[in-house]
Amino acid sequence: MKKDNYKIILVAFLVLTLVGCDDNLTISPEQAITTDMAIKTPSNIQKILNNAYGDARSSALYGGGIALASELLANDGDLYWDGTYVQPSQYDEKAILTDNSFVESMWLRAYKISNQTNVVLDNLAVFTNAADKDVAKGEAKFLRGLVYFDLVRLFGKPYVAGTANNQLGVPIILEPILDPAKITYPSRNTVDEVYKQVLADLKDAYTLLPATNGVYATKYSVAALLARVYLQQGDYVNARNMANIVITDSGSVLANSYSKVFNNSENSTEDLFAWQVSSQDASSNDYNVFWAGSDFGGRSGNPDISIENQHWDIYDDSNDQRSKFFYEADNWCTTKWKNQYGNIPFLRLAEMHLIRAESNFREGTSIGLSPLDDINLLRERATASLFNSVDLATILMERKRELSFEGFALFDAKRLKQNIGSLAYNANNLVLPIPLRERDVNKNLVQNDGY
Amino acid sequence: MRIKFKYFLSIVIVFIMQLTFAQESRFSGKVTDRSGLPIPGANIIVKGSNITTQTDLDGNFTVNTKKGQILIVSFVGMKTLEIAASAGMSVKLEDNSNQLDTVFVVGYGTQSKKKLTDNIARVTAKDMENVPVANFQNAMVGKLAGVQITQINGKVEGGVKMRVRGVSSISSSQEPLYVIDGMPLINDNESGSSAPINPLISLNPNDIESVEILKDASSAAIYGARGTNGVVLITTKQGKSGNTKIAINTSAGWSEATHKMKWLNAAQYIELYTEASANRYGANDLWLTEPGGVFDGYSNGKDWRTGQVDTDWQDLALIKGSVQDHTFSISGGDSKTVFFLSGAYNKTEGIVRGNSMDRYSYRGNLDHKVSDKLRVGLNTSLSKTKIIRIGSDNSFTTPLQAVAQTPLAPAYLDDGVTPNNKTTLYYNFLMQQYNGSWDANIFRTLMNSYAEYKIIPELSFRTELGYDNNNQTEEYFAGSLTESASTNGYADANAIQSDKYSINNYFNYNKTFKEDYKLDLVVGMSFEESSRKRQYVAGTGFASDDLQTVESAAEITAGSSSRTKYNFLSYFGRATFSILDKYLIKGSLRYDGSSRFGAANRYGVFPAASVGWIMSQEDFLKDSNFINLLKLRGSFGVTGNAGIGNFASLGLFNGSSYNKQSAINPYQLVNQDLKWEKTNQVDAGLDFAFLNNRISGEIDYYVKKTNDLLLNEPLPGTSGWSSLTRNVGSLTNKGFEFVLNTTNIKTDKLTWKSSLNLATLDNKVTNLPGGDIVSGQNIVRVGETISSFYLVEYAGVDPANGDALFYKNTLNNDGSLDKSTTKNYSDAQRVISGNPYPTLMTGLTNTVLFNNFDFSFTFQGEWGASMYNEAGKFQSSNARYKDNQTTDQMNRWQKPGDITNVPQARWGRSNGDQASTRYLEKTDFVRLRNLSFGYTLPKTMIQKLGVDRIRLYMTGVNLLTFTNYKGYDPESSYDNNGDSNIQKGIAFYSAPSAKTIIIGLNIDL
Repeated sequence: MKKDNYKIILVAFLVLTLVGCDDNLTISPEQAITTDMAIKTPSNIQKILNNAYGDARSSALYGGGIALASELLANDGDLYWDGTYVQPSQYDEKAILTDNSFVESMWLRAYKISNQTNVVLDNLAVFTNAADKDVAKGEAKFLRGLVYFDLVRLFGKPYVAGTANNQLGVPIILEPILDPAKITYPSRNTVDEVYKQVLADLKDAYTLLPATNGVYATKYSVAALLARVYLQQGDYVNARNMANIVITDSGSVLANSYSKVFNNSENSTEDLFAWQVSSQDASSNDYNVFWAGSDFGGRSGNPDISIENQHWDIYDDSNDQRSKFFYEADNWCTTKWKNQYGNIPFLRLAEMHLIRAESNFREGTSIGLSPLDDINLLRERATASLFNSVDLATILMERKRELSFEGFALFDAKRLKQNIGSLAYNANNLVLPIPLRERDVNKNLVQNDGY
Repeated sequence: MRIKFKYFLSIVIVFIMQLTFAQESRFSGKVTDRSGLPIPGANIIVKGSNITTQTDLDGNFTVNTKKGQILIVSFVGMKTLEIAASAGMSVKLEDNSNQLDTVFVVGYGTQSKKKLTDNIARVTAKDMENVPVANFQNAMVGKLAGVQITQINGKVEGGVKMRVRGVSSISSSQEPLYVIDGMPLINDNESGSSAPINPLISLNPNDIESVEILKDASSAAIYGARGTNGVVLITTKQGKSGNTKIAINTSAGWSEATHKMKWLNAAQYIELYTEASANRYGANDLWLTEPGGVFDGYSNGKDWRTGQVDTDWQDLALIKGSVQDHTFSISGGDSKTVFFLSGAYNKTEGIVRGNSMDRYSYRGNLDHKVSDKLRVGLNTSLSKTKIIRIGSDNSFTTPLQAVAQTPLAPAYLDDGVTPNNKTTLYYNFLMQQYNGSWDANIFRTLMNSYAEYKIIPELSFRTELGYDNNNQTEEYFAGSLTESASTNGYADANAIQSDKYSINNYFNYNKTFKEDYKLDLVVGMSFEESSRKRQYVAGTGFASDDLQTVESAAEITAGSSSRTKYNFLSYFGRATFSILDKYLIKGSLRYDGSSRFGAANRYGVFPAASVGWIMSQEDFLKDSNFINLLKLRGSFGVTGNAGIGNFASLGLFNGSSYNKQSAINPYQLVNQDLKWEKTNQVDAGLDFAFLNNRISGEIDYYVKKTNDLLLNEPLPGTSGWSSLTRNVGSLTNKGFEFVLNTTNIKTDKLTWKSSLNLATLDNKVTNLPGGDIVSGQNIVRVGETISSFYLVEYAGVDPANGDALFYKNTLNNDGSLDKSTTKNYSDAQRVISGNPYPTLMTGLTNTVLFNNFDFSFTFQGEWGASMYNEAGKFQSSNARYKDNQTTDQMNRWQKPGDITNVPQARWGRSNGDQASTRYLEKTDFVRLRNLSFGYTLPKTMIQKLGVDRIRLYMTGVNLLTFTNYKGYDPESSYDNNGDSNIQKGIAFYSAPSAKTIIIGLNIDL
């Protein structure tokens, strides 16, 4: 009798201990890899970089978010906001609240890109192929330069050429953070410091990147962006020179009709850089969401941003393709963002002609082409009548005809010191607030005036 | 083999003994209740044999046995009695209402209420039966002290929040651990949308015998790492030996919204918006009212000027619902085997248009004594639940968002059938049901088998194997007329397979030394593994609206599959010792390991100890006629919370893509130091019973301090990260709980009992090294209740110009707040302005039995909480947008001197619609939670039918609500942040609860 009991106890004990094996507690995730693995190989570093492109293309930033803020903040009647989202409505009203979630995600996403590029730059040592290494380094610097350029344009008072520009910009973070111990609580750098960083990154990228690189950033994507940065700074000599390099060396040509510039699933011949959109990620194309009619994927405002009568005044020729690049839903929509799945042109050759024309004009030079010829190239492509002469006003008006709704409005107004309605170009409420959540976490961040 | 032989031998011996010694004769007797009324159908078992019989309608029985043989007499609701066989026995059974003898399930064992040193709340089948709610949690509302149960909102499948003694965690799970018949249940919301599905919706409430809720650490610590939020132990029904019983319950009824809000009608809408436009553009701008203007656009050919159109969108969204519940069960058994079988069907048509549920469920429980030493059992349950779903609160397709539509837009086109989606302000939700579908099917299998072997009389070993499978598929289709028109339709399918198996092995040693010293020991281990798989695919472009599955999609636009797993390995022990039945001591220890934590902190130790002193057993009280029980209890224990992501301690990159090329995305920052969140809880209590147990109750005070909070701490975005799960900070819940049960009247004909429970809750964050955490309108701040509202304070309207005003609340030099007002919102500072959790909760249940009538009702009340209406900025915003407004907006400021709280209407301009206390309201309420009235047909009438019982009843839920809250329902909140633990107490087009009335019939055969 007793013997049996011990047997049972023994068996039970075995069951207890056998099942209780510590190995069972080690389980690895199947949908993710650890940080160590992620930064170990060149191919993984490239994939981190590819993800940074994806983050940049997200709706918060270059997938529509920045352009939405720029166009609506600069809107003085060309556009009508008919959407139900509060965040863009605050842009349009020039009364942004610090908890505006569009602003918040712009900030978070931009710094996420900054961190990923820092991770790439910090782990270049894993590359064995020097060319691959240069491309990764160059692309990382392109993306980092790009997001800081837009951060400082959105969250800081305008850069004014010839001044110290020590107004507050945004914090510059150049150290990668993959370990919580390294997290910092930075203060804001000045606008001047941020621009210097942007230029340093972009100049590096320019020397590192090749002339062709698939749909990713090339030497000429960087040059085009540099031209844009110099123009924003009022550095017309450099802006002109960079634009000229792009036009003469990149091999890009203007598309033969204005309609071929947009709604493409493959980059057009004049794209120096375009954000790639496919049916897999179309839902986060905020250009389409807010600017297209609801039959084409836009929201219920049909469209949320409609084009008002005031806008038609900028066209001087009814044959100009650009004056007809609209379609009617409940109200008028721009055709630029009609295709849900179309790539988003970001740096295109037409902009380079406009930069070169404006800079040549301001500098009294004719590097590449005369301002008149550059402008007429664009007019000819759009089947508009050609000009016999140009002045600064006609160049700038041509710029507007060419680039409307692409996100230039606010930044051009600030650069050109133009009023928006009754608001001065440097008004407090034309600068985005430092997001509330960010200041709740980091007490070192000073809020912009007016918030 | 030898065991079997012994068993065989013993049977033979018993048999021979019976043959040799038994002097069989017939004994008869009568079974009555205390008042002498006969009890028909009582069971009589000859102890140690399989001879059973039952009393007849007059309570008489006869049994063949020998004189002096012990008979066991039992009847449902009565105390079981043992009596020696003799001629002409008269057996009087006592009511089992004396709760002291109740046996509580305590986790790996049971314990009599009398000797309990824990705080455990309990509801039984009787308290829950026939309440027409689809999930068992809702049936317990108002019946448990210190347990807040809230269904998120009025959707049928809606998630349920259960908070046991407050909220003990900021970022990890706040839900209790659910255990059914010893097996931890899968309780993960698997909804394909952000609106949660209650994972326990697939359990049939009628299968539940009792629910015990382990509230204090002394009881919950045996579940160690998952005990902090309380443990809910569900015990399912089991058969009783004796005649086979058949029970049928069938009921049906109707439901509607507990409350509707008041919205502008067409005339008011025209008035307010015309005025708002005039205030912005001047009265001469007729863009709204001119022919072909905006109003003409809305009304789609109808003439709004002559009142041809006035759509009440709320009435289209909130409709009359219905419920049906049919349950059938068979139970019974003999002295060796008992069984319980049930089948049930529940159909609930929600009060929100297009939302319904069908549930088919089956349960089979079986328990068999192989021998005196070995017992085995198997509990199984299968169910299929089909839910027809509607959008989350934050979607245009959800019916309740239709209240934002203008009353000038007709709901349907002229044909009266096709929803008008052309001229409505927003997408017309009716189109989703007209041209789309959204079904969820949940298949749930539960299985629990066990074997218990008595090694020696004092020592037994029990092994349990549990299996839980939750299999859910959701299919969604939106046709060519819906929001997905641009892609010619959209469909997706989302399938999830979760399963969990668990093994428990434990010894139980039970020994009485020298009569007065009783020891109960439990030692064992458990292992549990949970895994989850998901497959998802979505496509667009459908040739026809009749082809609704992804197979017919022209293009597959998204797809994914994933797998994940976690497990727990635990060892536990518990010793309960009582001396002279007066001094009680208990100690327990649990050692838990989980794959969720970093290798360095994988294991946690969770001890608990408690003592009790039954004063009423002392000589100076023993003979008191007044005091039946007086017991002092005290306990201390440590519990944990492991409710975080499966791999929260690792630094991780997950897969993503750009340009159709693979990418890896940094998605989680490493934290190897991550460990259990630990809660120390102290509880002091007093149990009492007076006046022949007619007054009894419990008083408890507890302090629950949680340290090392698992917190998704917000990080500066400049780091590239937005949050990190860390063990930081601590918080405290304190409360007082009071339970009072009284038998007010007890006569032969009339019984009236009351049960009152009351609980206070004081929640404070005591330490937060990183400083305030603000999320939306809620804040976590030291010294304040978790998730307190943090808002700018609304100061009303400037009588001079109709501007909305806010209190500045900036700090003065002397530290006080500047209470002057400003119209500039940015100049006003946010302040703590309320909390989302009630500080006082109470429930009162009364039961009256009079002759054949029974009547009971439960009132439930909560005080101290507030709710923020996130949709206020659209609903009550002075006609800023075109959204329809609440009728109180008609009290707007119109001319200088007007005194009102509603600012001037300004089209397209902000005037008081910013987040402020304007949209915050107290939710104090008292509600008649249940009311039930029944009539049992007299036995004399039903005898001829061969039926034991026929009862007709009527039951209502939420029949009355007393509250000043103006929103839909004080208990309904936003279902789109179901997972955000910080954002609480937010309403956003959240559907009200249902008010339900049913009539039903119980038949026992």
